[in-house]
Amino acid sequence: MARRYTNQQKSSPISAPIAAFLSIVIPGLGQVAALKIRRGLLMFGSMISIIGLMIWRIRLLGRLEEGFWPTLLKAFDKSLFFTGFTIAAVIGLWIWIVIDAARQTSQEKQYGNSIFFLILLVFFTIGWQISEISIVKLASDANEAWVPLSKILWPWDAAVTRAKDTVEAGARILIDEEGDNPPPVPELKEGEPYIRAEPNFGKLSSLDEDNEIVPGSEIRLYGKNFAPNTRTQIWWSDAIGNEFQPRYKGQYLSTVTDENGAFEIEMIMPYRLVPPSARGQQIHTVMARQVSEVGPLMPSEPLLLTIELIIETIFMGMMATLFGILFSVPISFLAARNLMSSSPITLAIYYLTRTIMNIVRAIEPLIWALIAVVWVGLGPFAGIVALTIHSIAALGKLYSEAIEGINPGPIEAIQATGATKLQTIMYAVVPQMIPPFVSFTIYRWDINVRMSTVIGMVGGGGIGFLLVQYIRLLEYRSAGIAVWFIAITVSILDYVSAEIRQRFV
Amino acid sequence: MLEIKNLTKVYPDGTRALKNVSFTVEDGEFLVIIGLSGSGKSTLLRCINRLIDPTDGQIVFNGQDVTAADGHELRLIRRKIGMIFQHFNLVDRSNVLTNVLAGKLGYINPWSSLMHQFPSTARKEALEALRKVGIEDQKHKRADELSGGQRQRVGIARALMQNPSMVLADEPVASLDPVLAHTILGYIEQLNQENHISVLCSLHYLDLVQRYATKVIGLKDGEIVYRGTRDDIRQMTDAQFKEIYGEEAERVSAGTLSGGMK
Repeated sequence: MARRYTNQQKSSPISAPIAAFLSIVIPGLGQVAALKIRRGLLMFGSMISIIGLMIWRIRLLGRLEEGFWPTLLKAFDKSLFFTGFTIAAVIGLWIWIVIDAARQTSQEKQYGNSIFFLILLVFFTIGWQISEISIVKLASDANEAWVPLSKILWPWDAAVTRAKDTVEAGARILIDEEGDNPPPVPELKEGEPYIRAEPNFGKLSSLDEDNEIVPGSEIRLYGKNFAPNTRTQIWWSDAIGNEFQPRYKGQYLSTVTDENGAFEIEMIMPYRLVPPSARGQQIHTVMARQVSEVGPLMPSEPLLLTIELIIETIFMGMMATLFGILFSVPISFLAARNLMSSSPITLAIYYLTRTIMNIVRAIEPLIWALIAVVWVGLGPFAGIVALTIHSIAALGKLYSEAIEGINPGPIEAIQATGATKLQTIMYAVVPQMIPPFVSFTIYRWDINVRMSTVIGMVGGGGIGFLLVQYIRLLEYRSAGIAVWFIAITVSILDYVSAEIRQRFV
Repeated sequence: MLEIKNLTKVYPDGTRALKNVSFTVEDGEFLVIIGLSGSGKSTLLRCINRLIDPTDGQIVFNGQDVTAADGHELRLIRRKIGMIFQHFNLVDRSNVLTNVLAGKLGYINPWSSLMHQFPSTARKEALEALRKVGIEDQKHKRADELSGGQRQRVGIARALMQNPSMVLADEPVASLDPVLAHTILGYIEQLNQENHISVLCSLHYLDLVQRYATKVIGLKDGEIVYRGTRDDIRQMTDAQFKEIYGEEAERVSAGTLSGGMK
């Protein structure tokens, strides 16, 4: 086989040294001159792209340096392997291409294509560098990812909740070192929770020039009339009512009341960023708070919201599929070559339909959703519009291929029995079309539900919106619930759709 | 009786598939057409029930001009001509009974047939036809679950449903093994002899032709190059044989079915 192939080769019009010289000047030119035109063009294109990419990346690595050598040295400094390898590879490839050019003038032997494997290897190396792949990062940041990941993997403690009962008391504190005009100390009343700060004025923690914490004043809190033997959290509320839980040595401040419901705890006044315009005397509040869960377990709000939105998602997929079918069935006939090849006009319609469908299909539903949101506003309808547009194109193509794949034999046979046109369609065409139509439709429904789980991320309704919101709010448990529901829904759907399709085909 | 007069077919791409073909099929005859692939056999058979419209010439079936028939008349003619195909042409995803009942479509009310409603007499007839070809027990299977021989039997049963006075068989055994070929041709011969249905059949194997044909015509490049009786073909010379099948053809000795001819 190979021998016969070589025998058919045109003989090279130039000699080996000339071909080699030409490839020294421009890589690949020697091959072209030796009438191995495609080989030469491929090598030339590869070399040009590799050199271009290499220069781009090396300049990026060595940016901020002036001149050729400083830039190159900095690039070597920042990524020795990449810079070294690509430069060595370019030189090696060039030499190889020159040798190859000389060999290509020979009619006898065909030299292998292993050079193209080297070219591919260089491309992958450059790709590795461009896409900033970092194996080290995968390992070094793993512990950071573990906390949210574990919450997403097992989010179910956030799926239920109980009603909360809160016992709370606060004491006002003057932010001023001198303590002129301190706020009144709260009155102790029988049966009411009570807290007192000693002293009730002081200085907040602050940062010095080196961003080191300068501890604020120490104060002592005395609480009474709380629930006995119960964990009590200390909260702080600043001048404009923003509440936060101060920490002491990294731990949130809290204590446990004694059997009389009293406690005593020392704390350092916390750090609070105070803008220059708000400097001066301020009144903050320190609070003691006991939260207890009462009543039966109830589904939490994230769980209920997730269920609501997963239902919305499934129905979005269903409606989009329905509209997709309604529009794509007529369109699919226009896109079936066997039906449209009879005259130039119908053939033109065929090509037009196919082209439009290909373009529409090439644009992802997520992008259609962005457009649809502008068109019909945020919400599930936008998602349905986006999925419908994509479904029409995708189903239209699949349906038209089903029509093209119809076996003409049975049509002929039914015609030969003396059947009318309608009978022929009913007995020979429809039975052949129903199985692929049903199969493709269910498959599309499957895809649409899957897509509608993410289409919410751009405002197209469905569970995606909720998921993105939870992740942005760092509510990983709630996000986990949404992820679980998506996974469960999609796998059930996957199974059901595969089952149904199997029955029909 | 079927009379073909000066039948010519030119396809839109200019291929002349049939050139001035004339012959007659008497009632009760088993006429076999032989010829290479592409010699026009299939075109000829399909012109007879106008699955393909001939370019020129005349076809007269039982005194009726097929070539001049309009839609309704054509359907009436078609339903008297059963057809059997090389690739069976069953609707794979319908069951056997539905495939057989489809043979009755020309006889029943189009509207009720659209709802897949057939009169009970038609159902009985279909079961009878299936019994005749020996696959009554397969009636609820899907057509694509059957073996090749069984599928061709369904094809015969479907043709039977038309109460045909003639059957066109387009290489009915070319997709089957030699033993099955005899079984299927046996059924067709049975129709021919017991029901007096004339048969027009294209075949590839010379020994099958010698065994079943009462009359033979040979086609080459759309022209009839050979006419003979059963006896004639038994004494067919290699020269005549090569005239039909081309110079490269080798004669397969009678009795061996395994070697096909091309």
